[in-house]
Amino acid sequence: MANINIVDVGVGNLASLCSALERLNISFKLCKRTNDFQDNSKIILPGVGAFGNFMKKLHERKIDKLIIEKVDKKKSLLGICLGFQILFSDSTEYGNHKGLGLIKGRIKKIDSSKRVPHVGWNECVFNKKSEIFYNVKNNSDFYFLHSYFLETYNKEEVITYTNYGLKFPSSIQKQNVFGVQFHPEKSQYNGLQIIKNFVERC
Amino acid sequence: MLKKRLIISLTFNDGILFRTKKFHPDYRYTKNFVDFWTADEIILLDVSKKNKLSKKFLEIVKYFSLNCFVPISAGGGIKSMKDVSLLFKTGTDKVIINSSTYKNPNLVKKISKSYGSQAIIHSIDCKKKPDGNYTVMVNNGHIDTNYSPIDWANIATENGCGELLINNIDNDGSLLGYDLDLICNITNRFDCPVLGLGGAGNWEHIYQLFKVTNVSGACTQNIYHFTNESLKSAKSYLKSKQILIRE
Repeated sequence: MANINIVDVGVGNLASLCSALERLNISFKLCKRTNDFQDNSKIILPGVGAFGNFMKKLHERKIDKLIIEKVDKKKSLLGICLGFQILFSDSTEYGNHKGLGLIKGRIKKIDSSKRVPHVGWNECVFNKKSEIFYNVKNNSDFYFLHSYFLETYNKEEVITYTNYGLKFPSSIQKQNVFGVQFHPEKSQYNGLQIIKNFVERC
Repeated sequence: MLKKRLIISLTFNDGILFRTKKFHPDYRYTKNFVDFWTADEIILLDVSKKNKLSKKFLEIVKYFSLNCFVPISAGGGIKSMKDVSLLFKTGTDKVIINSSTYKNPNLVKKISKSYGSQAIIHSIDCKKKPDGNYTVMVNNGHIDTNYSPIDWANIATENGCGELLINNIDNDGSLLGYDLDLICNITNRFDCPVLGLGGAGNWEHIYQLFKVTNVSGACTQNIYHFTNESLKSAKSYLKSKQILIRE
């Protein structure tokens, strides 16, 4: 049985995430429809593109509802990049859009003196302990690629912060829901460790 | 703090890696030269005259995406959303658009709507004219657009590209250093990340680029820079000069 259900609604590059899992010897299944999801597997929700469009695709396939049900049944979920942003209540990207609402928070466009998008390797500074950062040092570099960030949030749920003109949450955990704004599948050793930790320890 | 990126740029002709010297091929090298783990990012460009984005090139993109867990940008001859979708499916994180903007400026707009602006690098090949002004060249340097780099970059960013890649094609392969004036001029006028390309012959050139301009990344195409030790030595050189880089 596959260890991991990967949500695949046909946007962006899943090849790197798949090859990261292969490298770690973790079996997975790409899930395009609700009946592709295996019952006892954890879920990874990767995403690129626009918030509204992505949410619409999840909704059309009723995957949004399914993810919420799985989380209620204590299945672990990891959102990556846009998949991280979609865990929250809402976003102001191209109008107002509702997210999955698994964690309270609002996504907003990066509004700082810095260049947008935020592209490149930046540090994650610990705020609280989490199994998903097991064996990862404080201030480790991860690869970021995004124009929006988590603006309002609950501080107790923040695992790490990152500084880019402003300080924003770069990873989060609320019980069995995990999210990372960076791309672990693009962040070499540290990134592979995060994926491994999610599968083995979260 | 965000680190300055050291980016490897590889060009392929019919699926074979070569070092650009103003676009003339040199076939002696293979992808085996590349250190996957020290580079911060990898750019793969198809410079084949015919059969752009062929199966052979896509195989290469796939090879890199399966073997190195760093971001991969690919392009060279992208003409349609079909090309873009194919590259993303093969393992590309960002697409590189160049000449297609000349005939089809809407393509960047379309990509940005579907994939987000962070998924697009707009590459701009520039050439200094005898009067000292720059013009933008397309089609591997064969067509003069008669646009200035600033105007061209304006079009690109307004259409929704997320990063600009600036190259003076006369410095390309010269090993004489980046065109700092040109790159500085662009970085100061635009709010998106800008990458410099063309001319890196030694670590000092890369240092000068980071010191003089506000670029987010330096691209090097010199094949001798791609072995494990040399990238590491580049990074320790830059670090010794107080440039913030990822170790």
